[in-house]
Amino acid sequence: MKRQTALIAAILAAAIGGAALAQQSVATLRGGTPLADNADPMVIPKVVNTDLRQVRNYPEQPPLIPHKIDGYQIDLNANKCLTCHSREAIEISQAPMVSITHFMSRDNQFLASVTPRRYFCNQCHVVQTEARPLVENGFVDIDSVLEYVKNQQGGSD
Amino acid sequence: MTEVTRRDVIKAQAVAAAAAAAGIPIPAAAQNLITEAELTDLKWSKAPCRFCGTGCSIMVATKAGRVVATHGDAEAEVNRGLNCVKGYFLSKIMYGQDRLTQPLLRKRDGQYYKDGDFEPVSWDEAFDTMAEKWKKALAEKGPGAIGMFGSGQWTVWEGYAAAKLMKAGFRSNNIDPNARHCMASAVGGFMRTFGIDEPMGCYDDFENADAFVLWGSNMAEMHPILWTRLADRRFSHPHVKVAVLSTFIHRSFDLADIPAVFTPHTDLVILNYIANYIIQNGAVNEDFVSKHVNFRRGATDIGYGLRDDHPLQQAAANPNSGASEEMTFEEFAEFVSEYTLEKAAEMSGVPADTLENIAKLYADPDTKVMSLWTMGVNQHTRGVWVNNMIYNVHLLTGKISQPGNSPFSLTGQPSACGTAREVGTFSHRLPADMVVKNPEHRAIAEKIWQLPEGTVPDWNGAHAVVQNRKLKDGEINCYWVQVNNNMQAAPNMMEEGLPGYRNPDNFIVVSDAYPTVTAEAADLILPAAMWVEKEGAYGNAERRTQFWYQLVNAPGESKSDMWQVVEFSKRFTTDEVWPAEILDANPEYKGKTLFEVLFANGKVDQYELTEKAKEYGNHESEDFGFYIQKGLFEEYAEFGRGKAHDLASFDTYHEIRGLRWPVVDGKETQWRFKEGYDPYVTPGSDFEFYGKPDGKAVIFALPFEPAAESPDDEYPFWLTTGRVLEHWHSGSMTQRVPELHKAVPDALVYMHPDDAQAMGVRRGSAVKVESRRGHIVSRVETRGRNKPPKGLIFVPWFDARQLINKVTLDATDPLSKQTDFKKCAVKIVPVGV
Amino acid sequence: MLGFLRRTWGAVRRPSVHYSLGFLTMGGFVMGVVFWGGFNTALELTNTETFCTGCHEMRDNVFVELQPTIHYTNRSGVRATCPDCHVPHEWTNKIARKMQASKEVWGKIFGTINTREKFLEKRLELAQHEWARLEANDSLECRNCHSAESMDITRQSTRAAEAHERFLFTGEKTCISCHKGIAHQLPDLGQASLMAAPEAVAELSGYLDQ
Repeated sequence: MKRQTALIAAILAAAIGGAALAQQSVATLRGGTPLADNADPMVIPKVVNTDLRQVRNYPEQPPLIPHKIDGYQIDLNANKCLTCHSREAIEISQAPMVSITHFMSRDNQFLASVTPRRYFCNQCHVVQTEARPLVENGFVDIDSVLEYVKNQQGGSD
Repeated sequence: MTEVTRRDVIKAQAVAAAAAAAGIPIPAAAQNLITEAELTDLKWSKAPCRFCGTGCSIMVATKAGRVVATHGDAEAEVNRGLNCVKGYFLSKIMYGQDRLTQPLLRKRDGQYYKDGDFEPVSWDEAFDTMAEKWKKALAEKGPGAIGMFGSGQWTVWEGYAAAKLMKAGFRSNNIDPNARHCMASAVGGFMRTFGIDEPMGCYDDFENADAFVLWGSNMAEMHPILWTRLADRRFSHPHVKVAVLSTFIHRSFDLADIPAVFTPHTDLVILNYIANYIIQNGAVNEDFVSKHVNFRRGATDIGYGLRDDHPLQQAAANPNSGASEEMTFEEFAEFVSEYTLEKAAEMSGVPADTLENIAKLYADPDTKVMSLWTMGVNQHTRGVWVNNMIYNVHLLTGKISQPGNSPFSLTGQPSACGTAREVGTFSHRLPADMVVKNPEHRAIAEKIWQLPEGTVPDWNGAHAVVQNRKLKDGEINCYWVQVNNNMQAAPNMMEEGLPGYRNPDNFIVVSDAYPTVTAEAADLILPAAMWVEKEGAYGNAERRTQFWYQLVNAPGESKSDMWQVVEFSKRFTTDEVWPAEILDANPEYKGKTLFEVLFANGKVDQYELTEKAKEYGNHESEDFGFYIQKGLFEEYAEFGRGKAHDLASFDTYHEIRGLRWPVVDGKETQWRFKEGYDPYVTPGSDFEFYGKPDGKAVIFALPFEPAAESPDDEYPFWLTTGRVLEHWHSGSMTQRVPELHKAVPDALVYMHPDDAQAMGVRRGSAVKVESRRGHIVSRVETRGRNKPPKGLIFVPWFDARQLINKVTLDATDPLSKQTDFKKCAVKIVPVGV
Repeated sequence: MLGFLRRTWGAVRRPSVHYSLGFLTMGGFVMGVVFWGGFNTALELTNTETFCTGCHEMRDNVFVELQPTIHYTNRSGVRATCPDCHVPHEWTNKIARKMQASKEVWGKIFGTINTREKFLEKRLELAQHEWARLEANDSLECRNCHSAESMDITRQSTRAAEAHERFLFTGEKTCISCHKGIAHQLPDLGQASLMAAPEAVAELSGYLDQ
């Protein structure tokens, strides 16, 4: 009985201590690790390789890359991405073709081939790892906003 | 036009709440196309990007008080419709679920307590507590005991209001921006060589150059949109050559015709070799040099900006000396003659023919060269020197101030130029390149500010690194950090930063949108409105000033930094903070609040609230009752007009995609110091470097001197830190965007596979990166985007969970006081995690 | 000189005076084994990564490029060394390849690619040789490890599984047709990528010439 009480006390103390820690530590991204300490580093996560396209947050968002690009060469010599995503390649590869905007020059003229200003694909397109977000993001999709606005109109207006 | 009304705000909050509650809702709209114009119409407005110094223009779509989409502005000169991956995700940076919405004060038993827990408090309680601390420090120790640390991410008027409150209100020059970590060496270089700050060229140089030389810059990741312009030029015009110099291989090497990996710090040697090559091969533009250039020999052995009692500092013959003496061209030629090709190749580790190929780009009179650099050069214990030396080679060949011939100092932050440099928020500066040490400059400032003579103090304030030292030593006791994350960003966190903030004698206030590492180290956290939650202005790296409106409302009680500064000023009267002699001589200022003296001064408050744009909100002006942004801007612009820093009128900037100053007769300036482009050049002089009294730029003779700390047996690796494409600075915005976080979730230790093998570690192994000052635990990466040579590791600093600045050294350039984040010695210890 | 040859020929065709036939036969066999073994051992020595990367041309160019790829380190730790991909495993082909390699020895002696620049200039040609060889032998060296029969495409990504079903299993393409530049960097394909298919060009010129 005495031992049990001690155990409960210890658990309570830990819970209180934990709560106090939560208020001491506000830096969400650090997950409670005190500033002077170092948490164990996360394992290097795997790159998502499902080939499943993800919904875009808005139409202007560059699509994320749904596959691995380890060792993909994009340099003065060659552009590995275009071996599947170029206009000519998609019949064989069945990959999405580079967007038509990628043929436009700085002066908004369409060129005969992909503009060199868009040559380095990974300036805009990135892979996704299996890492979990550190903090949720409350961005609201336009469809939800429209739905809301529509309901408001139907209701009070 | 729909107005952003109170109803919209309520709507927006409801939308956010509904979405958050439902997880990811799949509304009916997903199945059926909504076509009704009233619904599908989005309100698009322009705003500059929130991230780097490139200054891309963004189109921002809002609906019902929410940002719902963003894309690159097709009308903007800078980016013509493009964004980098960070820019494309701007829509999400304001919506991290841990946004701060009310002030948080460390308390115990209902009272402020240094080691207490953070508890929500009202703005009144927050400001009361702050004011009490400030007044106590001012009364007991004077203006030197308070300090402020701002940012190149402040809007122009936020920085201006803060500098005015500190320098004129509290009469303390202890205000510095984090641009000190970023652009101070560039500023030092400009002031020393040209006597006036910021690049002479502009981004149009990208479309005109025949060769690009990157000095330690990784533009492919750090300035992606400028890299698109460079890549466009290189691929479209096959004669164009790109040389990339760095201490490790990175993504910019993918476009390098001439790649060169050099031993850290030997850029000093390579640049002197190139100057020598130009002279030896008769490539000096003698006409240009004789008319427009002076030669000077700089003081040497100038120390490393460490604490005065540090052995390295005591060993220096001329610590912190920027002195120089006249010399002739022949003496300069003699000076650089020892930097032969053989010596340069041996010291730098770059093959001789590669060095020669780079030198030829500069020497060939028919090749227009654009040199580009940022942190590799600026974060350097001889950063000002390297800036000077890059100008040396451009001045020797006359390749400057013309389309395509351009030594171009790139900028790290969105308004390092606009706010930190032009507004003069540095501890030694005033607006328009003026300095606090100069009595004439102080008099000009006091006149424009309508303040008594002697208000602006004549002493150089504490700069960034010294502020942290003074906090630790208990000399600065009240400290306000706005819009930056300096606990994560400043060097030597364990020995200087953290002990300084947690010193029981000090009261630390941090204003931020998110609870950052710095916020956690504070005693009071103030919630800040960010980006398009306020009306703002930024100035980019090519002298372009850009404006935006407040497009959405900030969450909860958060307010802009400018509102916080101005509101705080109401809590002080001149009697409390100014000395009796000033007030006795100027009795009309007695009993007034600092708000009345600085902001409601008949100038800043002269524009009616009705002048602000009807369709946009403006939370500060609505609170203060006048169009404060316009008032602050127009007063600030007075400093530069007619002084080669001319800005256009306030209203102009809201209409267009920015203008490059000086804007004279409504016309912007692309290339400064060149007749025909720059209206300030005296007709007939061809070139005129009018920042110097005789119109001549200076070529400096400066030698190689070693780094502050080099690898040895105990700490055998160079540590270099930096950024990654997907995250901006300390990651406080980008790590909250799930797509960006998932793209690059963790900082890693990039190292050579042979080094890893020799140590018995492999990709993914947990290792301790340890210096004489502190350590972090991270994981090894041997096949990532960065490929260091043997003996060097690269660790990015965005990751709040792996604070690499626990490891770095707080050695600075002795002239610019900018930290060298690129060089210190570390050891790697495998750990069994 | 002529006299020496004549004397040697005489000695070889004259029957032995001092040694028995048995001794000579056995001795010949033993010596044969020794020489043959020695030859093969020497040959095998040249078939190691250590040998290949003994030259800086290989070590500083293609080997460093191999290091970050999946053929150097991967989840199961099975790795390809230089000869696994570049030297046929079957004996006659191996000897043929080794005889070809005498040209590479020549190149080494005369420094054809002894600088990075020279190597980069030659890279397209060198790569094309390897691609042609692997096209011609139906990617033999790839298939030494990656046999189509042993592939479980349900364990591949959808994209890879589809591609293998459509092109590899039908024999329409061979491994190297798609998997160029996976172990070393690609040469400058700038010009190559601008070139249309020969038939299309022929058609166009036919049309324009009318």
